[in-house]
Amino acid sequence: MAQTVMQTHGLTKKYGEFHALNAVSLTLNQGDVYGLVGRNGAGKTTFFKCVMGLARTTAGTIEIGGEKANLSAARRKMGFMINPSFFPYLNPRESLKYLCQIKGFRDKGEVERLLKLVELDGVSKTFKAFSLGMKQRLGIAGALLGSPSIVVLDEPINGLDPQGIIDMREVIKNIHTQSGTTFIISSHILSELDLVATRFGFIEQGVLIKEITHEDLHEHTKKSLFMEVDDIPKAIAVLNAIGIKDVSVNGNRLALESHLNQSNQIARALINGGVELYDLHRQETTLEEYFMRLIGGGQNA
Amino acid sequence: MLKLIHGEFFRVLHKKNIYIYFISLAVASFLLALSRSGRFNTYSIVKDAINLFYFMPPLAGGFLFSAIYTDDLNSKNLITLVGFGISKTKIVVAKLLLFVLFGSFIFALVPLYHCAVYAILGQVATADMMATIYAALFKFFLITIAFASLSGIAVYSLQRATFAIVLYILLTFNVISGLLKVAFNTVAPNLASCLISGITDKLLAGIKGGGAIALPIFEYVIYVAITVVLSVVVFHKKEMEF
Repeated sequence: MAQTVMQTHGLTKKYGEFHALNAVSLTLNQGDVYGLVGRNGAGKTTFFKCVMGLARTTAGTIEIGGEKANLSAARRKMGFMINPSFFPYLNPRESLKYLCQIKGFRDKGEVERLLKLVELDGVSKTFKAFSLGMKQRLGIAGALLGSPSIVVLDEPINGLDPQGIIDMREVIKNIHTQSGTTFIISSHILSELDLVATRFGFIEQGVLIKEITHEDLHEHTKKSLFMEVDDIPKAIAVLNAIGIKDVSVNGNRLALESHLNQSNQIARALINGGVELYDLHRQETTLEEYFMRLIGGGQNA
Repeated sequence: MLKLIHGEFFRVLHKKNIYIYFISLAVASFLLALSRSGRFNTYSIVKDAINLFYFMPPLAGGFLFSAIYTDDLNSKNLITLVGFGISKTKIVVAKLLLFVLFGSFIFALVPLYHCAVYAILGQVATADMMATIYAALFKFFLITIAFASLSGIAVYSLQRATFAIVLYILLTFNVISGLLKVAFNTVAPNLASCLISGITDKLLAGIKGGGAIALPIFEYVIYVAITVVLSVVVFHKKEMEF
């Protein structure tokens, strides 16, 4: 069983009467790339703020590395990026060296390694002249400084161009594969998180509504073949006769999650078997559709 | 805490504006001395130094205050420090120590520079003059530290750079102490002696006249300690501003 590296129990944060977080109990296991998914204002950043000690919790507990009482010490072993911010007059090298010094470890090539990793090694301009994408990259380098065991990234791909998004995904994947670093990453773009995350937590209006593994998520979103027929039992019998057993029924609709490329043979068999076939189409529940269904509609995720 | 001071030292020394600013001040003071050089008398070097020192808390201290305290707010670095698990008490104390270190360096250099400029212009300071200049400067140095520490409360409680700098400048130009004296004139006529300028005046008088300095030193330490404690308390109470 995977070791738990971070856990929250009933984490609640109220601003006046507004629940920014409402009894969030989340578990982060060693080696997870945990994708925290939610719309803007769902509570993702507030959750991170509470975890990093930047906002006081109203109720609930946080446990990091088995530590509940002295969270400051535990946080020193973590890396985080929430709204990347550095001094405007420092260049990326100086910014990371500054972080090295306040974290108290010697550079030993770490700064150069990280600058190369986020492709800022040749950049000498100061932070104030950075594009949003460059700021994000430096923020991620800052979070990875000192090879922390847990890395918290809040919307890391915000402002990155398509190539930057791919690069960032590769960086996270590589670090995760090479060092087993545990990541918790928030985003409102589920399809992007889907490419890196091993587990997901869906948050809406401060409530963690579902936790799901990558495999389970794809179980819920895979393609299906839908058929609308006049006689369900007869249609099932016809399908069974041609070797298709895994048929699910929903009203007068049949759904198949296999044999997706045999729609031609299936249609012919049903018609030849005397079944009236009103509709047959292939459909995939996208990650976004799944997410929207989960949170009960509304705006696009 | 040493790690934080070390990092902050690195950061402030990499702020190029600090060099431009202080070089500009040095050039301005040289030009001022040059313009006055035709009217020099024996005591000009001391009198001019003291006049110059009146502007040290707002001009030199103000810039240092912005570099050490409010840059953290503008660049949201307090979030980074707290998120990295550095205790808020350590941050408050480290910032004050850093201010004292940089302040000591600049305040120690200023009389040397002033005397060097006047020497170039034909006025050489005697040892007595130097002692008088340094004693006067010491008062302004203490005032600068105390006002920075007091304004630190605004930094940590409001987390708004502009407000903190305005407060610091108002304090150093004696606007706030002047208003307090007027407001409490009838209730507390001796209020001035309890304010930081009064405490440092007593200390300076003690140093010059060889009188008791223990009490004003004690009062000064208490004053700074109270501001540090208040900074820590408000910092702990205040949520980080994003």
